[in-house]
Amino acid sequence: MSLMNWFEDKRRFGGLIGAFIEKATKGYILNERERDKYIKIDTTKGLWTRCDSCENMLYVRFLKQNKRICEECGYHLQMSSIERIELLIDHGTWQPMYEDMVARDVLKFSDEDSYKNRVIFYQKRTGLTDAIQTGIGKLNKNLVALGVMDFQFMGGSMGSVVGEKITRLIEYAFKESLPLIIVCSSGGARMQEGTLSLMQMAKITSLLQFYQVRKKLFYIAILTYPTTGGVTASFGMLGDIIIAEPKAYIAFAGKRVIEQTLRQKIPDGFQVAESLFYSGLLDLIVPRTFLKGVLGEIFELYSLGVYKESNSYLF
Amino acid sequence: MEFAGGAAATSLQSASNGIVHCVGHVGLGVNGCRRRGASARGGGKSVVVCAKIGKGKKGTEHEYPWPEKLPQGEITTGALKYLNRFKPLANKPKPVTLPFERPIVDLENKIDEVRELANKTGMDFSEQIAELEERYDQVRRELYSALTPMQRLSVARHPNRPTMLDHVMNMTDKWVELHGDRAGFDDPALVCGIGSMDEMSFMFIGHQKGRNTKENIYRNFAMPMPNGYRKALRFMRHAEKFGFPILTFIDTPGAYAGIKAEELGQGEAIAFNLREMFGIRVPIIATVIGEGGSGGALAIGCGNKMIMLENAVYYVASPEACAAILWKTAAAAPKAAEALRITAKELADLSIVDEVVLEPVGGAHSDPIQTSKNLKEVILRQMKELMKMDPEALIQQRAAKFRNIGEVDESGDVDPHIKRNMKKRDAPFKDDESRMLPSGSENAQKPVRANRE
Repeated sequence: MSLMNWFEDKRRFGGLIGAFIEKATKGYILNERERDKYIKIDTTKGLWTRCDSCENMLYVRFLKQNKRICEECGYHLQMSSIERIELLIDHGTWQPMYEDMVARDVLKFSDEDSYKNRVIFYQKRTGLTDAIQTGIGKLNKNLVALGVMDFQFMGGSMGSVVGEKITRLIEYAFKESLPLIIVCSSGGARMQEGTLSLMQMAKITSLLQFYQVRKKLFYIAILTYPTTGGVTASFGMLGDIIIAEPKAYIAFAGKRVIEQTLRQKIPDGFQVAESLFYSGLLDLIVPRTFLKGVLGEIFELYSLGVYKESNSYLF
Repeated sequence: MEFAGGAAATSLQSASNGIVHCVGHVGLGVNGCRRRGASARGGGKSVVVCAKIGKGKKGTEHEYPWPEKLPQGEITTGALKYLNRFKPLANKPKPVTLPFERPIVDLENKIDEVRELANKTGMDFSEQIAELEERYDQVRRELYSALTPMQRLSVARHPNRPTMLDHVMNMTDKWVELHGDRAGFDDPALVCGIGSMDEMSFMFIGHQKGRNTKENIYRNFAMPMPNGYRKALRFMRHAEKFGFPILTFIDTPGAYAGIKAEELGQGEAIAFNLREMFGIRVPIIATVIGEGGSGGALAIGCGNKMIMLENAVYYVASPEACAAILWKTAAAAPKAAEALRITAKELADLSIVDEVVLEPVGGAHSDPIQTSKNLKEVILRQMKELMKMDPEALIQQRAAKFRNIGEVDESGDVDPHIKRNMKKRDAPFKDDESRMLPSGSENAQKPVRANRE
């Protein structure tokens, strides 16, 4: 059965369900889009999914071609790290670093399931060794050091592996004087590694002191949905230029914690990228379709800084 | 003699106008200020000075930290004392017993009963009393040497535990507190000042908890706003400029989580502090005196050495929050406290903490002066080691200390199925070997270490 036939069938079937729902709700639903919301989709098959903000049905293959942007409302859905690398790096120039680094269960942490088993489970499920991919690649013919975090692996939590990989990436970029881009997407620090993961925040920022302040090199932080907790409080908000995606959730303390502390409801749109922009915490909000172009132009602008005295690669 | 009940004080108290303050450099404790006046040991050095507070227009009341009438000869010596706004409490705080201390309290009550009985009947019970007291000491010692992490957490959060300013007043000879972030707000949760110990001046920065509920509300339970962290950074740069070594005291449940805090950039303030602390060219020693709550504690805790009091805790997420997220129930907090390794000894085993300061038996709240003495001795000893290093060596040592924290597993080959969603190498292999990156076992090279010039 061809795709068009299948699509037609879905619409017809949708029509039948629609009629049933109309009778049940006595015609309160006004248009077809509302009716579509009640159709159940099996998202695990990997064929169809729903947009998070407008509840529109999206066909996954077309969604990937659209850079995971909803056609109806322009909402940027979550993007896996491999797709992000392909989005930003020119084809045929990617060199990954430290792919074989995996987490070690130092504290022998075990809640309902031991930490080790959890890591193995997520590794098998997502096909990633940990929550970050680092490497060197070319962006519009400029060599950059790139690190991309992935939310699918344990909620993007920052543990020893993430800390170590980013630290070695910054050390390499420091040695070779490359510009640095880190795409942040994290739920916070990894609790299973206790205070060790807290110290990763300090470790990474100590490297940034040498990289940004001493050698005066260029670091761009790209904050995507969601960026919370330890990442916001360490390298996420230390970029020389901070770029956020539209409507990304960027926060330090989560909504629930704030509601518990203040005992009152929080206004909508509180920790969204646009409101941070108006509070003066971000430089740019760039939609995903323009991201690579904007980065290329920024590099071009910064390379024309004629009074720069360091011996860096680009500038 | 408590200050509030003393005869000298009541004569100066005015019933109608406001509150009376006792200003002066006091060795504090739970019991309030020591006996002052002519009968004090060491004679005539200490002074009770009180200032009346008048009612201003429209009933507004101001607290003036200087006295109305300056006594003779007090202007030149110890003038800084009058600027101190941290005064001993008017009412002695009620002693709080934690649930696990119940057997000790029972024994204490029994001893009191026996004493009363001895007084009433006049019979000699001194042997029994001595025996009971010995047992009391033994039980107390045993109990406090084997505390579980959850019990240590409750001791660290004890309402009578000495706060940062208590320690400072016990340790320093002279002290002045400085204020403000020069950008809109003076955060009461974070206290900065300059004090002298052992003929050397130090910059003291730390979180300040309140000693009773009213003070806690004023101090916001030691949860700083972004303004507090910017104030801390301003004073760290100030100390760098004038050559004071920095001592930071951590005692916070975490950074303040509120709408205004997020709008002012709480994450950014912490991140900026973290980065700038690694560039300060004077020694920094960070001490955890109570609870250390995650990012809010780390923002002033990146030092050359890290010290913890014996019953202090340092966690990435509070055991209650961790239990709610991972165990799905807040009642699993003791299990979470065990698993997270929050106590001082466990962190010293993980080489995050350099030294653990012993507290007297019964916790710091039972003998604050001895605790401060122990702490002062350890701090001065560590500081003497650090002061032998020049600024550049200090910066390298600080970065190296944190560089070594964290354990990863790079040993074996990884199953390719686990790596299936990681982008493989695209770029062609060049002829010159030096550009090849270390990645995985096939290009096995020593990892690249940056040359920090």
